[in-house]
Amino acid sequence: MERKAQAGAAHAAMSTALGAVMLLGGALGASAQDKTEVTFSYLWGGAEGAALEQIITDFNASQDKIVVKGVSSPDMTKQLASMSSAKGAFDISDNFASNIASWANQGILLPLDEFGLDTADFPESAMKQLVVDGVLYSVPIATHNFQLVYNKKLLDEAGVTPPTSMAELADAIKKLTKVDAEGNVTQLGLGLTDISAGLKTLGYAHGGDWNRDGKPTPTDPGFVEGVQFYFDNVVAPVTPASYNKFVAGFGPYMSDQDSFKQGKIAMVFEGEWRAKFNTEAGMDWGVVQVPGKTPELNGSTWADVSTIFIPTNTQNKEAAGEFLKYLISPPAMEKFSHVLANLPGRLSLVDSATYDDLPNFKVWLDALKNPNTHGLPPALYMAEYNADLASAFDSVLQGAQTAEAALQGVADRTGSYSQ
Amino acid sequence: MQSARPTPSEPTGRALLKGLAFASPFIIGFLVLYLWPILASGYYSLTDFSLFKAPKWVGLANYERMISDAKFWKSLYNTLFFTFVGVPVDIAISIAGAHILNQKLKGQPLWRALVYLPSIVPAVAAGFLWRWLLNAQYGFVNEILRWFRIPQPNWLLDASWGGISVIVLMLWTVGGTMLIYLAALKNVPQELYEAAELDGAGPLRRFWHITWPMISPVTLFQVIVLIIAFLQVFTQPFVLSKDPGLGTQTATGPGDSMLSYSIYLFQNGFTFLKMGYASAMAWVLLFVTLAITLLILWSAKKWVFYDNR
Repeated sequence: MERKAQAGAAHAAMSTALGAVMLLGGALGASAQDKTEVTFSYLWGGAEGAALEQIITDFNASQDKIVVKGVSSPDMTKQLASMSSAKGAFDISDNFASNIASWANQGILLPLDEFGLDTADFPESAMKQLVVDGVLYSVPIATHNFQLVYNKKLLDEAGVTPPTSMAELADAIKKLTKVDAEGNVTQLGLGLTDISAGLKTLGYAHGGDWNRDGKPTPTDPGFVEGVQFYFDNVVAPVTPASYNKFVAGFGPYMSDQDSFKQGKIAMVFEGEWRAKFNTEAGMDWGVVQVPGKTPELNGSTWADVSTIFIPTNTQNKEAAGEFLKYLISPPAMEKFSHVLANLPGRLSLVDSATYDDLPNFKVWLDALKNPNTHGLPPALYMAEYNADLASAFDSVLQGAQTAEAALQGVADRTGSYSQ
Repeated sequence: MQSARPTPSEPTGRALLKGLAFASPFIIGFLVLYLWPILASGYYSLTDFSLFKAPKWVGLANYERMISDAKFWKSLYNTLFFTFVGVPVDIAISIAGAHILNQKLKGQPLWRALVYLPSIVPAVAAGFLWRWLLNAQYGFVNEILRWFRIPQPNWLLDASWGGISVIVLMLWTVGGTMLIYLAALKNVPQELYEAAELDGAGPLRRFWHITWPMISPVTLFQVIVLIIAFLQVFTQPFVLSKDPGLGTQTATGPGDSMLSYSIYLFQNGFTFLKMGYASAMAWVLLFVTLAITLLILWSAKKWVFYDNR
């Protein structure tokens, strides 16, 4: 009898538990169904992706109508292919400013003007790249610029102070470059971890511009001079063969084998994300603004922008717009840019104390307000132009052509670019 | 008991329908997945098309543009260099290796499996592996050359060695061709060698007058298959040239020496959004492949031996 009662009680408890689970499941299911699901496909991965997921979690917790699902997808070709179909795989995504004009021209980016965003707080150098024919197609979530990062230990050993002019930079390169008895380079005074970014920066520092008034200007005298400066002061003294042999030994970027971390290069033009990496790597390092050919050109650099956009084929335009507003809101942007050690896309955050724990970050932050920080005008031909410039830079570093001849070769091809 | 196969008494139309129904998975697949894209690319090659906007008719403009496009010629030159150097070397290594594998050695099955092993390694993984093997400073390849006091090239950052590096990586999967040659060697009648030996023929004469003609049909097949593979090479140069650690992010290698035809086609289609131009390039590649294949088939009459003639 007791056993029967126990069995009955067990059945009743099980039924109640099952019922509760079913009710809870139903409630959750209903709750999820009521919410509009927004898919956010982002190019970041690793620690950056994790930071973004935290922001998505914060947003979802604050919402009862929208739920955002984050997908890390670093393949840009897949991103582009998804935007070619009637119904895309995502509702909101990120890319770089250099692609915005071309994509806007293809009609695959949703104009953002209808969301009533206040753009006054975004840096002019960034906005210049995101507004195409007066229409806003993308917004900055982070900005980037390049400054002269140096290895303090190596400079101290060579008795070199951080250069503040182009003449001092040339002198520092000479003193910091080391070659062994067999003619092998063992240390470069100035290296390039990103050839294109470094040589473009040198072009600006010589008063040049590789893209003036919306036209490709590869033979701009200042730009040519900047590229030739690198060859004359870094490559030629050690010979192109020795230079390229040494560079071949560079390990993967921002890894334990990173060339700057390993002390293989004493100075390098680098973006602000280096602040976090160098510090975590335990390096003794410093940064100064890019020295100019003349004092007025000191601090010359260029701004790249990480942008957020909504594709035209989104199925959830309004919800994606809400999430976009949240992503670029000061608290979310501050949190995101701080974790990644990226510059914020808002001028009001430049003086935020949040970034104080990132050593030397102020040099990059200050550049956001510097008139010598160049933004690229929107252009349809950027992808082709950048590919051709990369080939020309390589030709110069190989010692196959002078900067003038190599960049003239690029100029000869610009006629076939999309305009 | 009735047979499932159509009988002669069955009406011809019904039998035809039945046959078509059974063949329909292939027919539909061929029409939708092969023929339609081929025809569509032919049309797109005559248009200005970006994937996203409606194609705009431009006639032969895309083909005309190729004439003055230096990178098109560079990519074509590189690809023909890969092909005309890589294929003969691949065939030579395969035949030599097949002869070694054909010897009565201990553990022969294991050796055969080992030579085929690289063929099952994904090309991307192999590319990353070889990027380190060919590293001018720390790579094993240069280390071995150093032992023998042979000059060590800067494989991945010297324009004159970039193309060779691509060929080396392509040759890493030579095991597949080698095993096909091994099967061909086993089909050569032994009595031919015995007769030649009795007549006093040495190893070279036996190879040239018996082995080479007897395996020539396999060589014809291998040459055509390898030429098609080399003309379409993409992954190997793409991975070898794309190394942020080296600072080269162009996927074209030093002096554009690794810019293969397929990479340039891909860049035009998916990076520069010039799908019309990319389609025209695809058609040119088809005709180049066709021309080379027809030339080889025509020449085959002179060097391929079929023992059933």
